[in-house]
Parts: sequence; C-alpha cells; structure tokens
Amino acid sequence: MDEFTITEKKADDLIILYLNGFLDAHTSSLLEKKFEELLSKKLYKVIVNFSGLSYISSAGLGVFMAYIETMRSHDGDIKLSDMSDKIFNIFDMLGFPILFNILKDENEAVNKFNETV
Amino acid sequence: MRLLTNLTKLFSILGKKDKITIKSSTKNLHLVRDFVEQKASGINIDQKIINQIIISVDEACTNVIKHTHKFNDSNEIDVESEYKDNQFIVTIRYKGEAFDPTKKETPDMKEYFTKFKVGGLGIPLMKKSMDKIEFKHIKPDSNSLTLIKVI
Repeated sequence: MDEFTITEKKADDLIILYLNGFLDAHTSSLLEKKFEELLSKKLYKVIVNFSGLSYISSAGLGVFMAYIETMRSHDGDIKLSDMSDKIFNIFDMLGFPILFNILKDENEAVNKFNETV
Repeated sequence: MRLLTNLTKLFSILGKKDKITIKSSTKNLHLVRDFVEQKASGINIDQKIINQIIISVDEACTNVIKHTHKFNDSNEIDVESEYKDNQFIVTIRYKGEAFDPTKKETPDMKEYFTKFKVGGLGIPLMKKSMDKIEFKHIKPDSNSLTLIKVI
C-alpha cells in the first residue's frame, strides 16, 4: 500500500480531494503541494473526502489550518467529509469542528457549498 | 479457549519491556505507530485508547525529529513500551538538547481558530491523549520522555 496518495475530481467549480493512506509529518507536504497547486489554478472550493484515510496527526491538521483562511477569503472553503470515528476524534480533540464544516458524506459537503452560493 | 488465548497473551505482555529503535526521520514514524499499536493491542483495551496512545507517541517523536534532531537522521530514537499496574507506559529516549514539552503552555483554541494560527498542535494533542507525561534530562545530552496512559 502507498503511504499516502491524493486523487482528485472536479465537479463544476468544486474540487474533491480523496485522501488515501496516512497523513503524518512525513506525508503532509504532499497535501501542502496539492493545496498550492489549487491556489495557482484559482480553485478555492475544496471538499476533502477522508474515506480512504487511516490516520492523521497534527502535521495533517496543520495543512488545513494553513489554507482555510485563504480559501475563505476567495469565497471558497475547505469542507471535510466521510471521516471515520478515529479521524474525527483527532479533529474533535482540539475543537476543529468550531472552524471547519465536517460533513457526513461528500454529497452533504456539495450541498453545503450550494447552500452558501 | 479464547479466554485462555487472551490470558496467555496478557501474561506475555505484563511487565515485559519491548523496544524499537528508529533513525530520527519522519519516514520512520509509521514504524513507531505500528510498534505501539502491536504492543497496546496485546492488552484488552479499547481501540479508542490505543489510538490516543499512538497519536501521543507519534507527536512526541515528530517533535524530537523536527526540533531536537532537526531532521538529521544520524540520530536515533528509542521507544520502549511497558504495561504494569494498569498503566501503559511509553518511554522515548534520545540524545540532544533538553526541551520539556510539559512546560509548554497549551494554546487557547478559540483564539487559535479566530486568528487562523498554524502549528503548535502536536504537544496539545500529546497531552490531551495521555494521563501523565514526564520529561527527564540527564546532562550532558540524554533525554527521556515518558507517556503514561491509565488503563
């Protein structure tokens, strides 16, 4: 199994990132690069689907913190979906649900973007 | 039969110390996580608690790799686990300058989110996941960080 991979799907002006494997201090730079690439393409509406992610540490949380303000300042957002309880517990421990929309599944995340248009 | 297997497993773990040594590089973090998972799974504890121990050890090692060893992988980190007196104890030993994470103030998360701060979440995660953390420095450069989870 690969340590960490990202696949993506474009749906209109939304970008959906599918994370696979583990997101720790070793692999988080790949996700950072992906967000930089999205910024360079002026894509600010991002859904991150966690269904394939087995683990996240603070390095992974840090990537979302690093880009959320920029995305929102361009009328976009980073919405998170399809988290296992294991992953959600890590986000929840430090109160990330205060700042981030964490949705049950990708469809809910898409709907949430449509609501705010 | 299952009970017997579990008991045998438990006795083989009780009081026994196990250790893994890694080169100080983030690419080895998953080895440490697997080691802790394997050791903690031998005891009949909730997976949620195992996950808390794993993230705590990961964050502790990540800090050593980044801040103490500055990604120089000629350094090593020893991670030892032990289960005794209803406590799962992980001790992380490494050479380098002293830095006591227990002395680091926990950020106010409301302010953190309002100001869109970045970084500094490793130690809070480490602390929240464990019941007790102890840091010891022995001159000139030996450090040990002990993470304790009451089971």
